[in-house]
Amino acid sequence: MEVEFNEQIIADFNSQVAPDVNVEFSTYDWPVHVAELTTLFASGSPPDVQYLVDLIYPAFAEQGVLHDMTDLVNDPEWADERANISPFAWDLAEQQGGTWGVPVLGAVYNIFINEALLEEAGLLDSWDDSYESMLAAAEALTNDDVFGFAARTSAADFAWWDWYPYIHNAGGDVLSDDWTECGLVGQDVVDAMQFLIDIHTAGVTPAIGSLDNQGLFDLFAAGRVAILHHETPNIVSLNENPPGFEWTVAAAPPGPQGHTVMGNFGILSIAEASNNKDAAWEFIKHWASAPQVGRFAEQVNLQVVRTDIIGDLFADNPAMKTVQSELVPRVQGLQPHPQILEALQAAWPVAEDAFRGNLTGEEAIAGMCAAIDGVLAG
Amino acid sequence: MTDVDTGLSSTQLTLSPEEHRRLRRRYRRRTTLTAYAFLGPNLLAFIAFLLIPVVWLFVSTFRTGGVLGPAEFVGLDNWRDTFADPLARTSIRNTVVYSAMAIPAVFVIAMVLALALRTISRGSALIRVALYLPTLQPAVVAAFIFVFVLHPDFGVINYAIRGFGGDPINFLGDTSLALPTIAGIEVWRGTGFWTMMFLAGLTALPSELYHAAEIDGAGAIRRFVRLTLPLLRPTFYFAVIFATIVNLQLFDSVFALTDGGPVNSTISVSLYIYRSLFLFGDIGFGATLSFLLVITVLVLTGLQTFLLRDRK
Repeated sequence: MEVEFNEQIIADFNSQVAPDVNVEFSTYDWPVHVAELTTLFASGSPPDVQYLVDLIYPAFAEQGVLHDMTDLVNDPEWADERANISPFAWDLAEQQGGTWGVPVLGAVYNIFINEALLEEAGLLDSWDDSYESMLAAAEALTNDDVFGFAARTSAADFAWWDWYPYIHNAGGDVLSDDWTECGLVGQDVVDAMQFLIDIHTAGVTPAIGSLDNQGLFDLFAAGRVAILHHETPNIVSLNENPPGFEWTVAAAPPGPQGHTVMGNFGILSIAEASNNKDAAWEFIKHWASAPQVGRFAEQVNLQVVRTDIIGDLFADNPAMKTVQSELVPRVQGLQPHPQILEALQAAWPVAEDAFRGNLTGEEAIAGMCAAIDGVLAG
Repeated sequence: MTDVDTGLSSTQLTLSPEEHRRLRRRYRRRTTLTAYAFLGPNLLAFIAFLLIPVVWLFVSTFRTGGVLGPAEFVGLDNWRDTFADPLARTSIRNTVVYSAMAIPAVFVIAMVLALALRTISRGSALIRVALYLPTLQPAVVAAFIFVFVLHPDFGVINYAIRGFGGDPINFLGDTSLALPTIAGIEVWRGTGFWTMMFLAGLTALPSELYHAAEIDGAGAIRRFVRLTLPLLRPTFYFAVIFATIVNLQLFDSVFALTDGGPVNSTISVSLYIYRSLFLFGDIGFGATLSFLLVITVLVLTGLQTFLLRDRK
């Protein structure tokens, strides 16, 4: 489907912008996309334009294979378009003294709630007041057939996306403000970690490691999970195959220092090795324009980072509209450090161990910091 | 037989010693050159695809970068990092423990099956096909099959366990069970191959020795220990070395089933090398770990060759 939607954008590009430019579209295989992109860049003839997510592009930027687009995105003729893109998205695209792409889309990590179960328990309006109320709700909703709460826990499922908001809401982050050391500091961060350990050891979740990404979502769709951390592309699945209960989307409860949402965003970059940088820039401007990116976002159920079209999108999709209008403005993304993926991969097994009840919040944060500092030192 | 007039006398057919040596040298040279001509393409492939990459790998252990950007000499930093990295040690330990579980298990099961198959006359071909089928499954297919076998919720085994009133077992999600489970899956995949290998070895053994031993009163176990095992030494020699090489490179089933989790309990050396090289772009570190794996395989192969050599 995505190929078809991109072909639509290309057809519009040829009919509206550049009839003589031939654009060939190809996809990479998501589970091995870093390896695939590395090979493409190493070959010396990568695609002129590529869609890269904030988790991986910084490492490519550091190695000099991406074109610094600072001059292009600051072109006065494109200033209005630039202003329509959220500042948080530009923050994700700008680092190491350069601008490595134009932010276009993202996937927000939200909570799905089974409204029927929460309403029946009288918790629909109060379950997300605080971490404590969420734990209490999860305990109240858990019975032989239903798990009160579920979140991803394994690195293979990128479980840190579900962990991030609690850490951000406690004023912490993976890296310190200057990105030189671990940023998981302070009692609030320890308390947030302890809360996550408590909720995973309270008997309200499926056994840790027993269900993968899809398994957890399927359990929710079957009405057996009341509060589920997951991601917005699954909204399409719930819309196409409506479960036998009312459901909606929400953010994680507020913490002592904020009320954020985690999102994973993508930019359109130009390869440094490209011989067609002018045409590539024209294509990126076209792709990132309101009609194109808006239509594509609705087709694939992802979020846009343009602020000028939010009101026009997802008219027939209330859940996506909620995500786009209420959750996206709360997004605090990750820190686009070249080793952010390695730092998360190194630290995550400690969190996973803690969720099994083997570590306290303090021990877990200490262990995660040791792993993160080890990566930064290496 | 009648004499044929060749027109040559017996004196004329006799070669002088000098001519004989010359012709013998020429024959040897020709056969040697023919052998090299046949070996040449393989030798070229060996140099191009093994020797040069291993040398390049060794050089890369002293550098950083070199794939997407220029390489930089870093001395022994990569070696220090590798030996200091706790995850590298975990991956080595996991790989060794996995091999220590999988190799003996698959050999014992395969030998038992091979001995049983040797005595079966009817339906043997069908059983051989059934046994060999798992070996033909790609790791991803095997992983998919085992999701339906091991899954805590709907897996066949846990379904049966619940049927008997037990609690489901989290085979791949439990840190103490995940690695043995991976080993079990690999044993399942490898049993067919090793059964056929041992069966081929057993079939080639001289039957008269067994008849003689039987007449002398040797029982089945005694015949197996005193005859079969020693006579199968060449097969075991190949099997142990090949299985060690293959199992130390454990990657696909871990990649497909656990991605090294839970809590790094199944991370293997090859998976860590893959992550270092292709996920984190840490070429020097990945090269060092790769070179260590190559050296380990070579040393173990040498050791096994020494221990399993034919002592006449």
